[in-house]
Amino acid sequence: MSIFIDETTKVLIQGITGKEGSFWTNHMIGCGTNVVAGVTPGKEGQQVEGRDVYHSVRRAVDKVEVEASMLFVPPRFTKDAVFEALDGGIKKIVTVADGIPLHDAVQIRKAAMSEGAMVIGGNTSGVISPGRAMMGFFPYWIERVYKQGRIGVMTRSGSLTNEVTAMVVKAGFGVSSLIGIGGDPVPGTRFAEMLPLYEADDQTDAVVIIGELGGTMEEECAEMKGLGIFTKPLVAFLGGRTAPEGKRMGHAGAIVSGGKGSVKDKIKAIESVGGKVAERPRFVGDYLKELLGDRVR
Amino acid sequence: MKLFEYQAKETFRKFGIETPAGVLIKNAEELSDAMAKTSFPIVLKSQLLMGGRGKKGLIRLVSDEAQARKECGELFDSEYNVRKILVEQAVDIKTELYLSITVDPVEAKHMIIACGDGGVEIETLAVESPERIIREYVDPDRGLMPFQIKNVGFSLGLEGDLLKKFSAVLANLYKAFVSSDAELIEINPLFITGDGNIIAGDGKLSIDDNSDFRQPSYGKTRDYYDSDAEYEASLEGIPYLQFDGDISLMCAGAGLTTTVYDLINYEGGTVANYLEFGGPNYKKAVRAMELCLKNDSKVILVVTFGTIARADVMAEGIVDAISRLKPDRPIVTCIRGTNEEDASRILKEAGLVPLYDTEEAVRKAVAIAKGEKP
Repeated sequence: MSIFIDETTKVLIQGITGKEGSFWTNHMIGCGTNVVAGVTPGKEGQQVEGRDVYHSVRRAVDKVEVEASMLFVPPRFTKDAVFEALDGGIKKIVTVADGIPLHDAVQIRKAAMSEGAMVIGGNTSGVISPGRAMMGFFPYWIERVYKQGRIGVMTRSGSLTNEVTAMVVKAGFGVSSLIGIGGDPVPGTRFAEMLPLYEADDQTDAVVIIGELGGTMEEECAEMKGLGIFTKPLVAFLGGRTAPEGKRMGHAGAIVSGGKGSVKDKIKAIESVGGKVAERPRFVGDYLKELLGDRVR
Repeated sequence: MKLFEYQAKETFRKFGIETPAGVLIKNAEELSDAMAKTSFPIVLKSQLLMGGRGKKGLIRLVSDEAQARKECGELFDSEYNVRKILVEQAVDIKTELYLSITVDPVEAKHMIIACGDGGVEIETLAVESPERIIREYVDPDRGLMPFQIKNVGFSLGLEGDLLKKFSAVLANLYKAFVSSDAELIEINPLFITGDGNIIAGDGKLSIDDNSDFRQPSYGKTRDYYDSDAEYEASLEGIPYLQFDGDISLMCAGAGLTTTVYDLINYEGGTVANYLEFGGPNYKKAVRAMELCLKNDSKVILVVTFGTIARADVMAEGIVDAISRLKPDRPIVTCIRGTNEEDASRILKEAGLVPLYDTEEAVRKAVAIAKGEKP
């Protein structure tokens, strides 16, 4: 069983009739995803890829069983669409929108937390378990990146994920489930919150984090490992080690973390619990070999 | 978008937070008018977005007209590209506090940060004496409650009339934070004056770029950027940072671009500029290369690994840019992702040598920058 979604998960597509929505619905089905219906206000009665389109989430869930919702909705309407999915009782939501207003993102995460739901994104490519299913847009047909295997990958980036995952595959491994939590300052779900799912997944042997400077998400993962909540091997790649300071906001992040958030702190935190931090994408594969030895890849 | 102090203070006043009497001037001639509207001593505050203005000598306290004219001239002529000065009435300060509001991404709440030591660097204090920092978390759905305002006020040791005045400042600052879609709103220092008033001595306001559509436009002007190139790139919506090394980056994706930046440093190379033409900009190769060519870099390094930003489209863009701009320096390409086979063919047909491994491409660019033949 993979994490978040597999080939049985019943997926609704909000914004299914749009250009992006219909294009990627086709590919999600191609990847094995069980797309059950779509929503676009005003378009009920139409079909996309043979799936019925409904005016609203409520009208869709009245007719078909839905377990997860994929949003192809512009950033300024994302809060409304997430709340609509939550209102429909859906507990797994992925939003790829790039440009969700910060204060909307805070309310989205708050709502997900209070309803026991998981919102992945925004500003992400989504979630993929190669060979099984995906919610979002991944070039799953590129074998040297999206090869099925036993390594879990969590990431904040798009292009860098392709780069690093290609190195994981080059080292002889493949991917069990890849979760793009997204590059926004307030993602709906944080790295550490995914770790218990990877821990419970008998198809994941180790987890790779593709992180970045700032914030405390990598430190939170180290804490989970330190507490024994996550016990599998952990390898991190952190971009921006030599980046000059002071070009991004920085301020609030530094205050929140009270001195955490520098690359030095992140490396220290991860290494102190037995994790590895790769200086170059290529080293991620090397560390996996070192940590997993001859275990089945 | 980070706003200037004078803009932050305009917002403060709009929300009922008092600021010192002041006049904004754009050149030394306007100083006379500003002096007529204030009385000595006055403070000349250079309007720059960088931190540590005080330490850099960009804020001056002056007590007479001659001194004001001399120092005002010095500030406008300084190396820091000062384009505006806020001329403010000096305030009779009794105490200084720190007050800010930002978001906490873990709790998904608004976070008020306060401290009895105003004027200090809060990041430094957070490391050295974290116990002196007061935090109050606000549920975004409930909003700031009166008991929370009292929590902060009492923790700061305020009582009576001062507590009342402080409560109004905090309530108003919270309103400004929410209404402005702010990433950060900060008053540091917040003055308590000798006659018992509370006045915002300085102001920082950073507005979330994703909320532009529902915020008044501040307009992108040259003042907000460190260099002409960064300003020009911002008008195109292309993320760009100016450095002074040898290799111009033309990459896609923030994560991949910073990784390439790291790899160049590891290999002993130097970066001329950081530039991302991925995401919505993946068809802007010509504009991106034009920006790179304005630098006296020795080589342009293109690294991409895109999904929606298709490899074939980016390769075509590079070839088009080369034929239009006729660059006077070599270009190293490592373009991968969706339709990468087509991309390779397009690059080869144009006489380029496509590479597929990022580290190999970086080493090639560093070698060329050090004088090796392409």
